Amino acid sequence: MASLTPPPRRFVKLRRLLLRLGMSLCLPLLTSLPHTARADTPVLRVLAWPGYVESEVVREFEARHQVRVELTVIDTDEALWQKVTATQGPAFDVFAVNTAELQRYVASNHVQPIDTTRIANIERQQPRFRQTAAIPGLVRPSPHGERVYAIPFTYSAMGLIYDKRQMQVPPSSIHALWDPQWRGKVIAYNGGSHNFSLAAQTLGLTTPFHIPPDQLEPSVTKLIELRRNALGFYTQPEESVHLFVRHKAALMFANYGMQQVHLLRAAGVDVGYVIPREGALAWLDCWAIPRDAHHAALAHAWINHLLDRTASQLLVTRQGLANTVDPVDQRMGGSNLVWLQPVEDAAQRERLWGRIHTGNRLSKVLTP
Amino acid sequence: MRLGIVWRTGIAMALIGVLAAGLTGYYGYTESRALLQTAAEQRLLTATRVLARQLSVGLDTASRDALMLAQHPGTIVLLDTWHRQEPEARGSTMAAMFKTILQTRPEYFQMRLIAATDHGAERVRVERSEDGLSRTPEDALREKGHYPFVVETLALPNGAVYVSRASLYPESPRHEGGARPALQVATPVYGPHAQAMGLLVIDIDLDRLFTQLAADLPATLSLYLSNSDGDFLIHPDPKQAFAFDRGQRALIQDAFPETRKLMGAPSEDIQQVVTTQVSNASDQALVAAFVRHRLTGVHNDEGYVIGLGQPLRDVLADADQLGRTSLRIALAFSALAIVLAALLARRLSKPLQQLLRAIREFGHGSHDAPLPLPVLRHDEFGTLARAIDEMQGQIRAQFASLELKQHELDRLASHDTLTGLPNRRLFMDRLTQAMARARRHQSELALLFIDLDNFKDINDNEGHAAGDDVLKLMSQRMTALVREVDTVARLGGDEFIILLDGADDREEITLIAQRMVDVLRQPVIYEGKLLQCGASIGISCFPEDATDMTELIAAADQAMYRAKHSGRNQLCFASSGEENKVRSGP
Repeated sequence: MASLTPPPRRFVKLRRLLLRLGMSLCLPLLTSLPHTARADTPVLRVLAWPGYVESEVVREFEARHQVRVELTVIDTDEALWQKVTATQGPAFDVFAVNTAELQRYVASNHVQPIDTTRIANIERQQPRFRQTAAIPGLVRPSPHGERVYAIPFTYSAMGLIYDKRQMQVPPSSIHALWDPQWRGKVIAYNGGSHNFSLAAQTLGLTTPFHIPPDQLEPSVTKLIELRRNALGFYTQPEESVHLFVRHKAALMFANYGMQQVHLLRAAGVDVGYVIPREGALAWLDCWAIPRDAHHAALAHAWINHLLDRTASQLLVTRQGLANTVDPVDQRMGGSNLVWLQPVEDAAQRERLWGRIHTGNRLSKVLTP
Repeated sequence: MRLGIVWRTGIAMALIGVLAAGLTGYYGYTESRALLQTAAEQRLLTATRVLARQLSVGLDTASRDALMLAQHPGTIVLLDTWHRQEPEARGSTMAAMFKTILQTRPEYFQMRLIAATDHGAERVRVERSEDGLSRTPEDALREKGHYPFVVETLALPNGAVYVSRASLYPESPRHEGGARPALQVATPVYGPHAQAMGLLVIDIDLDRLFTQLAADLPATLSLYLSNSDGDFLIHPDPKQAFAFDRGQRALIQDAFPETRKLMGAPSEDIQQVVTTQVSNASDQALVAAFVRHRLTGVHNDEGYVIGLGQPLRDVLADADQLGRTSLRIALAFSALAIVLAALLARRLSKPLQQLLRAIREFGHGSHDAPLPLPVLRHDEFGTLARAIDEMQGQIRAQFASLELKQHELDRLASHDTLTGLPNRRLFMDRLTQAMARARRHQSELALLFIDLDNFKDINDNEGHAAGDDVLKLMSQRMTALVREVDTVARLGGDEFIILLDGADDREEITLIAQRMVDVLRQPVIYEGKLLQCGASIGISCFPEDATDMTELIAAADQAMYRAKHSGRNQLCFASSGEENKVRSGP
C-alpha cells in the first residue's frame, strides 16, 4: 500500500503552499456557482398584519416549497388597499384582510375565488369557521355555484386597555377616551375607518359603519376632541406598547385587541382589558388571493401552511391572538361584539382622518 | 541522455531562482494587497468618522439656532401675549427671523414655534417649498400636541435640546404623498415662571444635510444611514430607505452582517466596523465602513449608524496594478536567474572538464606531456588541480624509477657482470638478428671464438682476483679492436665470442683476428707482476660454414680447438683446406 505512506517531510510544506495557491485560484470559481441557481426561485409576495407571519413560519414554507417569501407588513386598512390595488410594481400573491374590508375587494374584482379543496387544513378549523356561508362577506353566489373568497385566519375585538394602577375602576364606556381626566394619557389608533366608527358609536348612531352626511361634522368634531385628549396615535402594536410604557399612558384603544395586551404584559405593565358597553368593534381576518396573483397555487399552499400547527400555535403563544383551529376564545365577550362591516365611504374616512391627525382644525378638515 | 551534475546543479539553481522570485513576488503581492486594502479601509473609516462628526456639527448648529431663538425674550413675549395681539401682525418678527435662518441653512426645510397651550398649536411656521420660503397662514396652522416630539420636548428642562427619530415628512405620506427623510431638532421655550410655554422646532431634511456633508466625497462612494434599529434611512437604492414605512424591513444588519456589533445595547467597545459586502456579482462587492454615532448633548432616544461604501473594485485597482508589476518583476528575475544559473554552470563545468580531460589523457599514458591543469586558480578547483598535478608528478617519478630498475634488470639478464660484455643470451639474440639480416641482404658475417690461454694458470697461481682482472682487461682490449656494430660477448669462464657483422672479406677477417691475437698476448700487469696470457681464436663464416646458428658457433668452437691444439696464440678458420690450417702468430 504505497499510497498510504506519508510523503517525505520536506515536501509537505511545498505541497501546502501549492495547495494554497491552487485554492486561491479555484475558490472564486467555486463560490460563484451557487448564486446562479437562486435567481430562478419563485417569490411569493405576502401582505400581512404585524405578528401574523413569524420568521419560523416563513422559513418552513420556503424550505417545503423551494420558494422565497417576500413579506410586507401593513398596519392600516388603507395601506393594504393601496398595495393590493396598486397598478405599479409586482403583484402580491396573498394577503390578510378583515371580512368587512374584503367586500371592497370582491366588489371591485380585486380578489379571486379560492379553491377550498386545495387547502386540506380547513379540516382542522373549528366548525363555525368552516361554515363560510354563515360568515357575512366570505361567499358570493355565481353561475357556477357559491364561491369562497377568503379563509378565516384570526380574530379579535378592539376593546380598551387600561393601566390597573392608574385606573382603579375599569373604564366601562368608550367615552373614557374623551374623558378630560385622562388628557394626555390616552392612546388611540391612527386609522380612519375604525376611528370614525368609534366616533359614530360615541354619537350613538344606529350603526357605526354608516355615518349619514349630516353626522359627518359631529364625527369630525368628535375625532378632533379625541386628538386633543390623546397622548399620541399608533399604527403598529409595538409602537403602541412603546408609547404606553414611555409616557405612562392610562388608557388605550386596542386596535389589535389581545395582541397588545399580550405585548404589554410581556413588557411588565399591569394592564386590564375591557369590552365597553357600546360594544367592541371586532374583526375576523382572512387570507385572500388577489385577482392578478402570479403564484395562485403557491398562495393556496401558503394559506394551508398558515392553518397548520406551527403558525396557529405561534399566533396564540407569541402574539396573544386567537386562531381558527382551537376552541373559540372566551375572552371575546360573546354578544357585545360589533363585527366589522363595510363602511359608507372608506376613502373619505381616511382622507378626513389624515387631516385630523396632522392637526388641522375643523374648518380645514372639512374643506372639500 | 543523463545530465551531468553540473547541469543538474544549474537546473536546480535556476529552479531555486525562479521559485525565489515567484514566491517573493507572490507574497509581496498578497502582503501589499492586504496593506492597500487596509489603507483603503482606514481612509474609508476616517471619511465616515469625519462625516459622523460633521453630522454632529450640523445638529449642533441646529441646536444652537433653536436655543438662540427659544431663549430670545421676544419669543417668550410672543407666546405669552399671543391671544392679546392683533391676528394680522403677530409673529411677523419671528417669521422674519425664521426666514433669515432658513436662507443661510439649506438643510432646514421648516421652522416652527409651537405653543404648549391650545393642544400644541403652531404659532409661527415658515417652510421651504419649490416657490421659496413662505409663512403658513394662521388658519392653516395645526395642533401638534399629540406628536411625540412635542410631548418629549415639553418635558425637557430649560436649555435642553431634543432630536427626534428620523421619519418621513409629512408625517402621513399615505394621505398627502411626497415624503422626505427628516428629523426634528426642538427645544422648549421657558417663561419667567419656569414653565414650558412652548417649543421651537427646526425640521431638517436629512437628504439635503447629507448631500452637503458628503459633497466633498468622491462620487463612487455610497452613503448609508440607519437608525438604531438598523432600518436604512438613507441608501443608494431608494427602495431600501424607510422600507419600514412601506411595511417591509431593510436592515443594515442584513446587508452588512458585521454591523450587528454596532446594534443592540450601547457598548463603548465597538463604535465602528469595516466590512466587505460580498455580492452575487463580483463587480458589485463593496468595502464599507460604519460608525455608530451617538448624539451627545441632546436628548435623543436613539443613535445612528453612518456608513460609506466603496466598490471593492476601486479599492483593489491599485492592488491589481501592483500584481501585474509583481508578476513582471518575478518573470524578469526568473529569466535572470536562469541566465545566471546557465553561466554559473558553464563556469563550473569548464575547469571540471579541463581536469577530466587532463586525468583521462594522463591515464592513457602521456605522462611526459600532460595537459595543462588549472593550478593557478585560488578556489577548490585550483586545490584539486594542484593535488592532481602533485599526484601526476609522483606517478611520473614512480614510473621513471621503475623504468630504471627494469633497464638494470634487462642489462643484468643480458650482460656479464664481471666484464660488462653481452652474455651468451644477448649474443644469441644479436646473432639471430644478424643472421636474418645477412640472409635478407645476402651478406656475410663471421664468428670469432676466443679462448684465453694460460688463464687457468693465472687463476690458480695468482688467485681469482687476478683472474678477474685479466678477464676485464682482455674484454676491454677485444672491445677496442672491433667496430661498434660488432658484438663482443663472454660465453663463460675464459671463453669469448665476437660477431663481425657484414664481414665478407676473409683477408680482413684474418687481419682483425690476427690483431686480436697480437693484442691479447700482450702481458698484463697485476700488482706489479707481469702476467702472460694469450688467446686461441676459431673463426666460422656465414653462410659459408653453416647456415644454422648452433652449427655456426660449433664450427667456430671446433676451429678454436684446432687452433689451440696447434699451439697457443693461433687462429684457425673452420672451413677451406688452405685457410683451414692454423695460422700461427707473426
